[in-house]
Amino acid sequence: MPVPTLTYPLLATLAAVLMPFLAFLLTAATGKKARNGAVSIAAISISLLAAAYVFAHVWGKDPIHVQWHWFSIGRQAFHVGLLVNNASALMLLLVCLVALPVHVYSTAYMKGDPGIHRYWAYLSLFCFAMLGLAVAGNLLLMYICWELVGFASYLLIGFWFTRDAAIQANKKAFIINRIGDLGFLLGIAILYSGFGTLDIQVLFGTDTPAVSGTGNLTPGWFTAAGLAFFLGAMAKSAQFPLHVWLPDAMEGPTSVSSLIHAATMVAAGVFLLARVFPLFDGTVLFVIAVTGTVTAFAAACFALTQYDIKKILAFSTISQLGFMMAGIGFGMYHVALFHLTTHAFFKCLLFLCAGAVIHEMQHVKQKLGHDFDPQDIRNMGGLRKHMPITCATMSIAALALVGFPLTGGYLSKDALLVHGFEWAATQHGMALAVPCALAVASMLTGFYSFRLLAKVFFAQPAAGPLTGSHATLHDAPLPMRIPMLFLAACSLFPLFTFHPLNDGHVWLLRGLAPDATLPPLRLLHFAIPILATIASVIIATVTWRWYVLGKYPLKPQGALYRLSLHQGYLDALYMRAIIPPLMRLSAVLFWLDRHVVDGFVNGLAAGGRALASAAAWADYRVVDGLVRMTGKLALGLGNALRRSQTGRVQHYLALAFFLMVVMLLYFIFARA
Amino acid sequence: MNTHLLTLLIFTPLAAAALMSLVPSRGKGLHKYIALATGILQLVLSGAMYYLYRPTEAEHGIADEQLYQFASHVPWIRLDMGSLGRLEIDYAVGVDGLSLPLLFLSALVMVIAVGASWKVAKSVKGYFILLMILNMAVMGVFSALDFFLFYVFYELMLLPLYFLIGIWGGARREYAAIKFFLYTLFGSVFMLLVIVGLYFSVTNPATGAHTFNMLLMMDPANHVPGSVFSALAGQELFGIPARLLAFIVLFIAFAIKVPIVPLHTWLPDAHVEAPTPISIILAGILLKIGGYGILRICFGIFPDAALQSAWWLGLIGVVSIIYGALVALAQRDLKRMIAYSSVSHMGFVLLGAASFTTEGMAGAVFQMISHGFLSAALFFLVGMLYDRVHDRNIYHFRGLASVMPRFTVFVAIAFFASLGLPGFSAFIGEAFVIIGAFISGSTNGILPEWMAIAGSIGILLSAAYFLWTLQRMFFGLPRLKGGDAWAAALRADASARETLIMVPLIGLALLLGVYPALALDHINTSVLALVEWVNKVR
Repeated sequence: MPVPTLTYPLLATLAAVLMPFLAFLLTAATGKKARNGAVSIAAISISLLAAAYVFAHVWGKDPIHVQWHWFSIGRQAFHVGLLVNNASALMLLLVCLVALPVHVYSTAYMKGDPGIHRYWAYLSLFCFAMLGLAVAGNLLLMYICWELVGFASYLLIGFWFTRDAAIQANKKAFIINRIGDLGFLLGIAILYSGFGTLDIQVLFGTDTPAVSGTGNLTPGWFTAAGLAFFLGAMAKSAQFPLHVWLPDAMEGPTSVSSLIHAATMVAAGVFLLARVFPLFDGTVLFVIAVTGTVTAFAAACFALTQYDIKKILAFSTISQLGFMMAGIGFGMYHVALFHLTTHAFFKCLLFLCAGAVIHEMQHVKQKLGHDFDPQDIRNMGGLRKHMPITCATMSIAALALVGFPLTGGYLSKDALLVHGFEWAATQHGMALAVPCALAVASMLTGFYSFRLLAKVFFAQPAAGPLTGSHATLHDAPLPMRIPMLFLAACSLFPLFTFHPLNDGHVWLLRGLAPDATLPPLRLLHFAIPILATIASVIIATVTWRWYVLGKYPLKPQGALYRLSLHQGYLDALYMRAIIPPLMRLSAVLFWLDRHVVDGFVNGLAAGGRALASAAAWADYRVVDGLVRMTGKLALGLGNALRRSQTGRVQHYLALAFFLMVVMLLYFIFARA
Repeated sequence: MNTHLLTLLIFTPLAAAALMSLVPSRGKGLHKYIALATGILQLVLSGAMYYLYRPTEAEHGIADEQLYQFASHVPWIRLDMGSLGRLEIDYAVGVDGLSLPLLFLSALVMVIAVGASWKVAKSVKGYFILLMILNMAVMGVFSALDFFLFYVFYELMLLPLYFLIGIWGGARREYAAIKFFLYTLFGSVFMLLVIVGLYFSVTNPATGAHTFNMLLMMDPANHVPGSVFSALAGQELFGIPARLLAFIVLFIAFAIKVPIVPLHTWLPDAHVEAPTPISIILAGILLKIGGYGILRICFGIFPDAALQSAWWLGLIGVVSIIYGALVALAQRDLKRMIAYSSVSHMGFVLLGAASFTTEGMAGAVFQMISHGFLSAALFFLVGMLYDRVHDRNIYHFRGLASVMPRFTVFVAIAFFASLGLPGFSAFIGEAFVIIGAFISGSTNGILPEWMAIAGSIGILLSAAYFLWTLQRMFFGLPRLKGGDAWAAALRADASARETLIMVPLIGLALLLGVYPALALDHINTSVLALVEWVNKVR
């Protein structure tokens, strides 16, 4: 393959990806002096400009596909390459568009932190990995970026490394993500064994063996490959039951959470599935749809009862990711990517607003010297008066999350629901449960979102730190406010279409639409948005009565309530059913190693020594004993005979005479 | 190409040892400087050879002399043995893509080991002389192309190691030393029988005499018809095909070095009791001799038996990967944990080699090189901690990141590199071992797919034990068992010497991770030749 010519869009893509990496290196090299983050902000700004340029060049036109030789194994060449098509151009732009406000926000939010220089380095590394993932042209390179995203998130989640909870959380995040990584790696291995290449364009372009189902792979391996990639996406995009790392991951700074939950990290799984979409057969798609729906529903249930403001948002992220996954499962990956985009803006905004609230609560805590949890919504209330801008922006974000008309969320979520029902119509009867569950999850979304808004901003503060009149709260400083306002604007409909109530005109969907879409059911396109909006209004009224007017009818002791509060006891299950047996196995193996394997070796040694002492004994007692006995015998005989050597003639004569007599007697009697 | 470079590389340490023996013990500083100069000279020599080496495609497989460069071939022992013919032992050395990267690795690890020995105070002269003899033996093992010569170097290695562990080691040093010695001797004694058998089974076509030349032993055309190890004769010993038996004997000899489960128990003891520099050499070089021996000798000379046993080799690899990782999880001694992690990581070498695919085998060789750098780095880091407070128990430390930030950065990098983070060399090695093992099922049908999947679980477990250790020892609020005394001792973060040692190790792991072609370009031709060589027998 010849060396690709460097065109401007190509250079811009490289710049967009490599700028944050450069910033990472510079910040890491500068060390403690790099406190203001200017380098990182400049880098991500350049990335944004470059990404916008790339987007303008690629969207709806020919993709950029280049590769350079990287290394060979045997005769097989591996490349580093870029593949920038519509989906990756969108992702590239989206990541920059969300990351820049977060960077700006961080200058105020993280001000004064003693480890701020590390923060900027990690943040830039994180952006680099995610941008690389968006444009990677082959699966090996994508896998590398995929793991680097996980690594950077490990660093960011554990940013406050002296806190036990933070370092437990980042370990958990990395290890659960590793489970997914194995899936991704095995998926790569399966595809490589079938097609001998990992280039995404060659694998999943038009009329390729992987798409048409020819090649060396049996259908079983095709399904296995699809499931393996999905396992990877499940871990990264926090799908049930591998979602447990995401709620804990909020131990990182809130600005990091906003990035992790919006366009980076969790989005990677959805994006991966969109990239390898042609690989999936019916079985895999069904599994994805069901898993996504279960996730959407379960996480929405868990979100209902949480008290930690960030935990509510974390479960809402998981739930929304479930929606996206379901969209992929329906075969409508363009809708999933659309929801990913709208979600990125409003979820990032939700976290930034939550960060602003927590920031203020922390100030109150420091001022009052009370010990309370600044993230607990039970300590909040009535913040509307003190923080009007935060209240307004967070309300916009929450409405977008609920899917209220005039927001981006309305367009994308209703599109997902509609396609869900259309998909169910093409499947067996039981499949109808999937979109129904999604619809219920969507209503639950409304409930927890309004509950959050009500408890934080509208309700009277309960007995707590905010009841005293000396609480001085105010809106966030300018560097935090501007990003929030910017993202609020992005959460509304005009960014996506000028037709606020109809998703049919969304430019984003048109640009990404797959060749085959589901047969449309016209009626649903009208009925579902209307019904959903009505349901949202009813739910809003109910929550207003319950939380703002204080007419709460339920008792917080029910079994279902506790099940939701403890997130279905999944963590407890893992902590009891998986970790201890593994530790016990490891301890047992070590015991075996010490006592059986090594015991055998030591036993051999002991046996050898025993044999040696036996031989030594035998040598001394038997072999040498014989020798010594011979010697002793000779000595004794000599001693005995010595007595006869007296030197007296009479004795000798007497002996001779005696012997003669004996011989004579012998001859006489023996002859007779 | 200069044919004396390799000989120079092998015997420089011997000259250095001779020089050292002339320096009186009172000149304490001098010995280590001679050792360092020798190490650096060797590093430059091996680096130059690495640079000058031109990979050429072999036409006749792994037995092709073209593959071996910097070759030097001199008659060494010629003895008329009457009816048994003439004894032919040569000084035959040469390097190919399998051995050259390992030679460079050895030279580097030796320099690191000398650097780590800087503070040795006990009988300095003897220590460095033994180190130099060990150095020579190691270089010789990787270069020898005559089996007799190989065996001489191989056995010569044991002697200095025995004393280095037994005299300069920790509390149970004598136990560890004798265990190590006997374990290895057990393997190599039987190897000698095979060598003799091979000698009488192979003739040199040029002279007609029996020969110890490994390359001649590989080619079945040189086998004496009807001899015990002739590929065609199909002789049996004790009811087992003779060649299979010979393969197993040689495999066990090398597998002890790798080590494989269950022949691994010398390793934790030897690593833990050995002084830091010797742990570095053990993990960085000695284990690779096992892997190298399996590839060069077991696979090269007995490809037929290797294919027959491949499934079992793969299984042993998988068992070692998972068993080593699980036992590492149970450790409380940091050094012992790293020792068991070595068992796990070397399991990948065996799994990749057993796949007999270019991907898997190149991955295996790459993994050996990568593990050489990384395990040397890991043991050096443990040594840094032990030097300061004479304790290695994981539970006696907490929050070290706040006490020793630079040390923590090194540890974190080394841990993440070892657990296979992309961008570091271990990732390339392990990923291609897994890929190679996986595609084996559909390309040559040797290993079933589940072995690749089971092997990948080792990657998951390695993340678990490394991250758990990071969490327990380095993060959280500082709390040390030794209290203020320890805190004072630990406040001395990584010194300039220690940084100077760590940077090249981590740098090379990074370089090879980002641009693996640096090693793979050399490895490729030999791996291709070996894979084709073995597959020709099928």
